[in-house]
Amino acid sequence: MAYRQVSSKSGGALSWFLQRVTGVVLLFVMIGHYLLMHYNIDSGHTYSAVLSRMQNPFYKGLQMTFVVVGIYHGINGTWSVVRDFKLKKSVSWTIYALLVISGVVFGLIGITTLMSF
Amino acid sequence: MELTVRIQRYDPEKDSAPHFEDYKLDNVNKTDRILDLLNRIKWEIDGGLTYRRSCTHGICGSDAVKINGRNRLACSVLVQDLKISKSRIQIEPIPALPLQKDLLVDMSSFFEKYEIVKPYLIPKDAPPERERYQSNEDAELLFESAKCIHCGSCSTSCPSLWVNENYIGPAAFLKAYRFIFDTRDDATAERLDLIDSADGLWRCHTIFNCVEACPKEIDITWHISQLKKAALSREI
Ligand code: FES
Repeated sequence: MAYRQVSSKSGGALSWFLQRVTGVVLLFVMIGHYLLMHYNIDSGHTYSAVLSRMQNPFYKGLQMTFVVVGIYHGINGTWSVVRDFKLKKSVSWTIYALLVISGVVFGLIGITTLMSF
Repeated sequence: MELTVRIQRYDPEKDSAPHFEDYKLDNVNKTDRILDLLNRIKWEIDGGLTYRRSCTHGICGSDAVKINGRNRLACSVLVQDLKISKSRIQIEPIPALPLQKDLLVDMSSFFEKYEIVKPYLIPKDAPPERERYQSNEDAELLFESAKCIHCGSCSTSCPSLWVNENYIGPAAFLKAYRFIFDTRDDATAERLDLIDSADGLWRCHTIFNCVEACPKEIDITWHISQLKKAALSREI
């Protein structure tokens, strides 16, 4: 029987831990996001309301964190599911590359959008 | 009472695939063990029925089978312990291991994984004159994990093993715990290296199937979580 990466130092402890940390962060940020953006019409959803909110560096920083943490959690979680399966090395590397590239691309889209405000 | 026992049968010399066969038993008592039913079928109806059993008292771990969809020891489950619908119970081999015949599976890979975690004490020092001392508190840490009888119910109930036969699995992790948390052992890093791997600890998603399946009621997931903590503390 061939075990993959036996004696590997990068077994996945750190990504397992970060998945939990980002999960907890997301839980709180998402509740805040939903309360503000979806259940509180008075917070304002017009372009000018969003623009003025975005001038607050704390709020902008929170949105940046939301983008980065959300993308990390999603990509890392998908990779963790993929790693459950016994895939050919070439297949898993392809999926890994696609996940990393899509993470970088979506991250850049999110951050440049936020920066444009 | 009358009971129909539906058993998965497979003879590699005759059958192309496993199939179910029904056996009607009368005079079944509520306090009969499932192993008693299997024995009656083998001794009275079909001598060809193949399954493992040895101690018949929940000690040797050889008769783990899937009873009504759950991995259990045939010798430790009574008829009255089961929810029986239509006077029928169903018995299949434990999943995820190569089927050999009827309820018999090839346990080799299960024990290979058990061996890779080095299931023996590895102390750095030569044996002392009297004993390698352990306090009651230190020993207490190991008691639950040491109850394992290696029946394979936990590992084969784990979806992570169903999709990846290389997954080291809960039984081997439990054994790793038993030595990693043994104060007399000095091979913690070596063992953690083996289980902190792609087919190791991180494929456990705390599904708790292993805990439900364990006939010795060991909280295996808790033990795995302690191993995860130990592996993580090496990195942060
Ligand atoms: S026969 Fe030994 S555990 Fe059941």
